[in-house]
Amino acid sequence: MANPSWGMVIDNDKCTGCNACVIACQSENNIPINEEDHFTQRRPIQWIRIERYWEGEFPNVKARFIPVLCQHCADAPCEPVCPVYATYHNDQGLNVQVYNRCIGTRFCANGCPYQVRHFNFWEPEWPDSLENQLNPDVTVRTRGIMEKCTFCVQRIQRTKRESEKNNTSIKDGDRQLNPACVNGCATDALVFGDFNNPESKVSKMKKKELGHGGHGDHSDHDGHEEHDEKRGYHLLEEYGTHPSVVYLKKVDYESKTVEKH
Amino acid sequence: MNPHVITAKSTLDKKSKINNTLLERHQRNGNYFWRIISLLAVFFILGIIGFVMKLNSGFNDKVIWGYYAAMFAFILTTAQAAPMVAIAPRLAKAHWRRPISRTAEIWSIVGLFNLILFIPILWVLPSLEDRRRSLWFWDAAPGFESVPVFSPHIWTTLALCSLVFIGIMLLWLSALPDLALIRDKGTGWQQKVAKKLSKNWIGTSKQWHWLYHRLGILGALYFAMMVFVHFLISIDFLLVLVPGWIDALLPITHAANALQAGVATMMLTMFCLRKFGGYKDYIGYDQVWGLGKLLFALSLLWFWFWFSSFNVFWYGKKPNELSVIDLLTTGPYLIIFIGVFLLNFVFPLFMMIWNPIRRSFWGPPLIAVGVIIGTFLDRIRLYVAAYSVPGIGDPNVSKHALPTHSLPTHLPEISDVFIMLGYISGSILVFMLATKIIPVINIWEQREVVMYEIHKKFHRTEVKILGKPD
Amino acid sequence: MQEHIQLNQKEINDISLSPILETPKWWLPAVLITFGFIVTGLAAFFYMVYHGLGVTGLNRPVFWGFFIVNFVFWIGISHAGIMISAILRLTQAEWRRPITRAAEVLTVFSLMAALHTPLFHVGRPWRTYWVFPYDFSRGVWPNVRSPFVWDPSAVGTYLIASTLFVIICLLPDLAIIRDRTTGLRSKIYGILCLGWRGTPRQWKMQTIVGILLSALVLPVFVSVHSIVSWDFAVIAGVEGWHSTIFAPYFIIGAIHSGVSAVATFMVVMMWVWKGNDKILRPDHLDAIGRLLIIVATTWFLFLFLEVAFALFTLERPEIALRELQFFKWPFSGLFILFLLTSYFIPVPMWMFKNVRRSLPLMFISTILVNVGMWLERFLIIVPSLSRKTPFAFDWGSYTPSIVEILIVTETFAFVIFGLLLFSKFFPLIPLFDIKEGMVFRDEIKIGRRTVPASIRE
Repeated sequence: MANPSWGMVIDNDKCTGCNACVIACQSENNIPINEEDHFTQRRPIQWIRIERYWEGEFPNVKARFIPVLCQHCADAPCEPVCPVYATYHNDQGLNVQVYNRCIGTRFCANGCPYQVRHFNFWEPEWPDSLENQLNPDVTVRTRGIMEKCTFCVQRIQRTKRESEKNNTSIKDGDRQLNPACVNGCATDALVFGDFNNPESKVSKMKKKELGHGGHGDHSDHDGHEEHDEKRGYHLLEEYGTHPSVVYLKKVDYESKTVEKH
Repeated sequence: MNPHVITAKSTLDKKSKINNTLLERHQRNGNYFWRIISLLAVFFILGIIGFVMKLNSGFNDKVIWGYYAAMFAFILTTAQAAPMVAIAPRLAKAHWRRPISRTAEIWSIVGLFNLILFIPILWVLPSLEDRRRSLWFWDAAPGFESVPVFSPHIWTTLALCSLVFIGIMLLWLSALPDLALIRDKGTGWQQKVAKKLSKNWIGTSKQWHWLYHRLGILGALYFAMMVFVHFLISIDFLLVLVPGWIDALLPITHAANALQAGVATMMLTMFCLRKFGGYKDYIGYDQVWGLGKLLFALSLLWFWFWFSSFNVFWYGKKPNELSVIDLLTTGPYLIIFIGVFLLNFVFPLFMMIWNPIRRSFWGPPLIAVGVIIGTFLDRIRLYVAAYSVPGIGDPNVSKHALPTHSLPTHLPEISDVFIMLGYISGSILVFMLATKIIPVINIWEQREVVMYEIHKKFHRTEVKILGKPD
Repeated sequence: MQEHIQLNQKEINDISLSPILETPKWWLPAVLITFGFIVTGLAAFFYMVYHGLGVTGLNRPVFWGFFIVNFVFWIGISHAGIMISAILRLTQAEWRRPITRAAEVLTVFSLMAALHTPLFHVGRPWRTYWVFPYDFSRGVWPNVRSPFVWDPSAVGTYLIASTLFVIICLLPDLAIIRDRTTGLRSKIYGILCLGWRGTPRQWKMQTIVGILLSALVLPVFVSVHSIVSWDFAVIAGVEGWHSTIFAPYFIIGAIHSGVSAVATFMVVMMWVWKGNDKILRPDHLDAIGRLLIIVATTWFLFLFLEVAFALFTLERPEIALRELQFFKWPFSGLFILFLLTSYFIPVPMWMFKNVRRSLPLMFISTILVNVGMWLERFLIIVPSLSRKTPFAFDWGSYTPSIVEILIVTETFAFVIFGLLLFSKFFPLIPLFDIKEGMVFRDEIKIGRRTVPASIRE
């Protein structure tokens, strides 16, 4: 069987901006609590974040949400610039970060157009009450290194191990496999799965919404969009990163327009 | 009194000898001169035929004018850059330039020829109308409405005219003393022409001061104008034609390539003058050595620019940039691409670091031939490819990115070959005819160096001492 | 115009060796003060290592700040030495002779300053050696595709080459000091000068090595700053950085700031060491001033091209960036200051011969250039990162913290400290080079004029 190529489909139409995915990620991946100071210093660590944009003039203001996480690009700009191979592409389509190798040049963070790489400016600290909450499967990162979304690689690996042990195949949409953010999403806006498996939900959605199996390269940046059924797009396609995350456009029923960031 | 000061001996004998021999050589007709001229004229007529054949298809489709534009750019990068060989060392007060400075300046008259041939491609040059990107920031943006849609045409023509004008003024000024010499001592029709051209030059010290001053200013102006013209040409004829090609370095690379090819042109001209023109006593190792060093340095410089552009595009991996690299380096262009790299960088580098070749008379000119061919190929690669991209008005082409399907490549037709032949021979023809009016070796600069050169005993050897006036 | 004071060889020796044989009064306090700054800076550094990079002003998205600005700045200054020494040596410009040593030494110390700046910058300085291909037990080679691997190798090569260059040019002068000192000092200098006796063969070798090194160091010189520029230019994700022109633009900017720094250093040398003004003449400042006009104007042309092509397509992210860079306070103020100090004040000043030949004015104008060039790097790095992506949600800004400022001061103190130490133990004015120039110099009388001349063209 071919190696899996993990990926995600994010439906902006379903996103309510509730931030549950952010919290789920935070607790799953041992991310230190972002306090007010972190935000005023512009140093919060959020492997997934909800970007909120206001559209229109008061009183007709609409909030637009777009969850942004590491896109696990096939041609990731962060990979070639790392001098110590702390970030590289593995055979499962994941862009992995090796914490032990990282020396903290922050070159990758500059290379990433999605701004999803985070630097540990401080030594991570938790209140005493949360000390026992830490996930034993996830490394606690020290100060001075980069970290970012892993698609919850620990969950993927655990599921893989168990399925090998039980001689079963990995089920699509298995809650044991899904990253924490997908499990936490109340509206199923986030769907996780294997793009190499044509039967998986993500593959079908991608096929339906993006129109073709390969990485999309639309050249219609000029604003004249085709108003057809297909809502799929990649974030910042003009950088040629070929992400593993497919976004689906927001459908605005009031103005009958399709929103695209 | 400073013990180091030496008084120059009377050098009058030597000076009049230089006058007489060079003058005599200038007025004599070589055996092959008119035969070569007629051969070139035949080729030039072929070129005209090719041009007429092209005219049949008109100016509506810019694709077929790609080779013509490439030839225009080729002459711009070789012949019109050659005068820099006179200007730069003159500003740096290097003495080795003296025998070849005039030859370099005569090339500027070819600019006139190129200017005339520039007129047809003005019709092919797209205007700013269809929201075309341009250096002039026309985007129907607020504040830029007053920019005329024909800005590229206007500015390029004006700049090219001034470049040619400055070049010819430079040539005329530097030739003044020599023309006066022909007026006084020459014979025949050349004397009559010289009489008209030399005005009232009698060589007073006031006139000499005026001349030195003007030569310096015009030289600097020529350099500035040349760089400016290359900027305009490379932007209006290359960058804006290809969507997604945003290469801030290309104008500089274009100009650097011109300097390199200009030096190569001079090297070749100099070799021909020595070998076939009978100026063996005047053109020597110093010139090959000086020009060789320049050619070497400029080849390295060209490579550095070329690589800087390429590296940033290749590493950045933006789709619109990769498509530009694709356009310029695939299909038949790949062979040219590699050829240019070899001829313009690898050969000059690895041959010129080899002292026996650098010191020989045949080595550097051979490399110069390579550089000229390389430049020629490079012009074709860039201009033909850029001209083959459908216009911005074409609905298939977006503003920022090339279509992903590969674009057709245009192999030269017979008319293109004729035009190429005619263009080059026409330029050489103009150059050779000009040498009949103006001495191809600078007589007064040659005479001047006699004053600055002194041989002196230094310990056990005799050394040459050269004065450098401030 | 080149009015040289005719000195005999003994006078040259006396002037150039006086800082070594007798210590000036101000020397020790100056050394102590700069050393104090170094200690303060290092203390700040260790404070930062202990607490993490949180004590700086860096944030997301401005991940690179003062340290990288400073790194680029010192790399830029280091281009002075080779520009003056190698290029002017190869083109045989006679006026270079008295300032070659100063320029080379400035190169070496500024390179050292540049090379230890990345230590401050990275998150885990104790692991920085991982960028070198040394550790086979780790089983991971450095990633050769990363400009941060090209950087240490290029800068390292440059440091080795320019140190060699300084040593080769020092040999004859060290031998002179050996002969003029006694006891242990003489012995040490004797070891350092590697048995220099001044035989014709040694002179020949020394000349050949000098020329070879200048020629070989030139490609390194170009590669170093090109690679530093590619640290930025290869990143397609940052609008303000991804420009093909960066390599030559950085180089010419480096030459601009480096040659200015040499001019500043020259003026200081003429002021603080007595007798130096007999060797370093206003002539030399004049020549440097003229060179600087050309360099600065070329640099300005590249700046213009960079901005013109950035705005070429009128894309919205690019316009947002340039709006911040040019028009939003405080960057607008810095931008105007940068334009004034790096071009519009100094270059018109240098147009006047009186300015070029005046010590205080040259000092001020060249210091201004370096203020401007420091700001240039800041304005390239920080605004570009602040407006990095098209996502307006992630735009940011940056204010340096006191820790960063102290550490940056440390590098300046380090360079001055290094130069002071060097001046105590080695001559800053190349004795042999000047004497060689004197032997080659001649004058030719033509009619009523005397024209300076030299052996060899």
